Amino acid sequence: MKKIIIIKYGELSTKKDNINFFISKLKNNISIILKNIDNEIKYDFGRMFIKVNEKDIDSVVNKLKKVFGILEIIIGYIGNELEIEKIKNNTLSLINDKKFNTFKVITKRSDKNYPINSMEINNVIGGFLLKNISNIKVDVHNPELSINIEIRKNEVLYYFNGIKGLGGYPVGTLGKGLLMLSGGIDSPVSGYMAIKRGVKIEAIYFESPPHTSEMAKEKVIKLARVLSSYNAEIKLHIINFTEIQETILKNIPHDYLITIMRRMMYRISAIIAHNNKCNILINGESIGQVASQTLTSMRAINEVIKMPVIRPLACFDKLEIINKAKEINTYDISTLPYEDCCTIFVPTHPVINPSVSKCEEYEKLIPYKDLIHTAIKNHEVLIIKEEIENKYQDLL
Amino acid sequence: MIYLDYSATTPVSYEVLDTISKVTKEFIGNANSLHALGLKSANLLESATKQIADIYGISPNEIIYTSGATEANNMALIGVAMANHKKGKHIIVSKLEHPSIYAICNYLKSIGFEISYVNNDKEGLIDFDDLKNKIREDTILVSICAVNSETGVRQPLKMIRQIIKKENLATIFHSDITQAVGKVSINFHDIDLASMSAHKIFGPKGIGFLYKSNMIKISPLIYGSGKFNELKPGTPPLPLIAALSKAIRLANNDLEKRERFVNLLNMKIVNFLEKYPEIKINKTKYSIPQILNISIMNIMPETFLHMLDKHEVYVSTNTACSSGEISNSIMAIYDDSKRAKHTLRISLSYVTTTDEINKFLEIFKEEYEKAITVK
Repeated sequence: MKKIIIIKYGELSTKKDNINFFISKLKNNISIILKNIDNEIKYDFGRMFIKVNEKDIDSVVNKLKKVFGILEIIIGYIGNELEIEKIKNNTLSLINDKKFNTFKVITKRSDKNYPINSMEINNVIGGFLLKNISNIKVDVHNPELSINIEIRKNEVLYYFNGIKGLGGYPVGTLGKGLLMLSGGIDSPVSGYMAIKRGVKIEAIYFESPPHTSEMAKEKVIKLARVLSSYNAEIKLHIINFTEIQETILKNIPHDYLITIMRRMMYRISAIIAHNNKCNILINGESIGQVASQTLTSMRAINEVIKMPVIRPLACFDKLEIINKAKEINTYDISTLPYEDCCTIFVPTHPVINPSVSKCEEYEKLIPYKDLIHTAIKNHEVLIIKEEIENKYQDLL
Repeated sequence: MIYLDYSATTPVSYEVLDTISKVTKEFIGNANSLHALGLKSANLLESATKQIADIYGISPNEIIYTSGATEANNMALIGVAMANHKKGKHIIVSKLEHPSIYAICNYLKSIGFEISYVNNDKEGLIDFDDLKNKIREDTILVSICAVNSETGVRQPLKMIRQIIKKENLATIFHSDITQAVGKVSINFHDIDLASMSAHKIFGPKGIGFLYKSNMIKISPLIYGSGKFNELKPGTPPLPLIAALSKAIRLANNDLEKRERFVNLLNMKIVNFLEKYPEIKINKTKYSIPQILNISIMNIMPETFLHMLDKHEVYVSTNTACSSGEISNSIMAIYDDSKRAKHTLRISLSYVTTTDEINKFLEIFKEEYEKAITVK
């Protein structure tokens, strides 16, 4: 029997009118990740069928586990023996290696000319299995193993319990956002969560050489690379923040350093987002985590831009964020010990309840509009893909 | 020289040697260092690891570099034992393992673990029913090699995995794949842990890796610092790692074509040796062609090995790691102690030539017939 991969859609089924758009986007996203593998994809409103060579099945399933918009990934088996006796034996041999105590047979007959109806097939197969496997019972409400049999024109499709997919919406179905990506634990997780809701992301990173090292930038590239495995590729905007940061340090009272610095980052991010057709900013802020993330701080900082800022982690505990970071493989990269521009020049007593009027007052002391203009004009753009270009091909 | 001991070790290929030399000269930075030279080394390390991961369809952080398969076996078995001793202390291994596995099992036994040995049938294949019966609730690990080093018997890892996981989902499956790498294809999704070594595939001695699926946890054997892997701290040996990555890439070219060619050489030797009634061919239908084991019942194998030695023909008795003892694997398959004492292993590679085999058979005939006349 030939194996086939079956995909069940996630929340898409709630999108009545534009479901076609969602599914074809999902199909495109899948085609992109399978570009180096021979495949054939067909779909209807209920599910998608992917045919690949037998040897590629495991690796394709692994790739599909990283695609948003998939509720369940199921391995199905296609046989061309339509006789009921053959179906009985095939079912038995397919479930031979499975461990279960309760089961249910669910038959669909898309070929209505087939002589036995679905209910009867359920009974025949169920009875046959009960006779041939000891210690199993039928449970129609909550079976451990669901045995699905679909009788079509010239073939029979068998499938069983599937593997859980990531859920969410296909990436790109809800437009674009700009992720403020530091080297820390939180921002990659927020990026992941935005991607999960179908938002295609670009990312922005602020570097402060020589205070921050090349390694710190390399670390952010690695984080972007992890995220790109869910997002096809990521456009990473790198802003040289040294001059702005040094000017702030020289001219602004130290308890307001972080607040003003964040206001500058927000201003730059909003402009970059606007220029790149991103509708929202996304960041890793979590209420109360540090001085710049108190509610008053958030308000004083957010006040400089009009664009909506999505903070997927606002109400998460640190431990919850860490667990998620470990799950998506960003934690080990985030905890590499390099300084980033939020951790250098941290004042001993940053203001916890900054006032907007004071921020505005202090900002008059520096020519920030010119500095921002220069930083944006000179910014670097990298396209990060999951596959690293192998610079060392001759050596390896 | 006619080298027919490729399963003991292989010479380093020219391409791999070139990598070792270039990387040693050009990548002097410690991959753990913060400066540009460190970064350059870290980047090469990353590319080398990614290449291996891509070839095997695994993730780069599932690769832990070791000094070779013996270290990887230690890391796997002891690592699983230490991480899971509260869940259970029962470990199952086959009777066809590399001696290092038994040495580790003896150690684990001395500190309170229980070791069971799963039987195999007359073809060398694991007895599935016996395996099924031996798996218990407290079985934390099953270790079964992919290819036996003495007889070349290949085990169906997928089926073994299915049996293990059906009986006890928490039982971890380790496989020593050293003799399979570069000879037959391996699906890493069939196993949780796997050990291999570069020097069996024309790479340098002193490097190998442990594959550890991200789904399982093991305890470290050694402690130290370094950012790449907590299970193997310290400065990564970059020239060896780059060499390993290259050796793996080269070894995976044309696997099937190479196997077919080696099979022809193997058949040629078998056809020739079958003429002698006192020579038993220890080959089952599951043996891979690269490893050919025979028992010369009327001569001590060591004597014959030295007779061939004089002609610069190199084969081995048992495996290089257990010379001098009775062959466990032959005993496990044929249950014949004389046969197990008289084994000789001829191991072939795709670089072996037909000329070499012709010459080998000529020398074999001359020396063998001389030896029995003297006797």
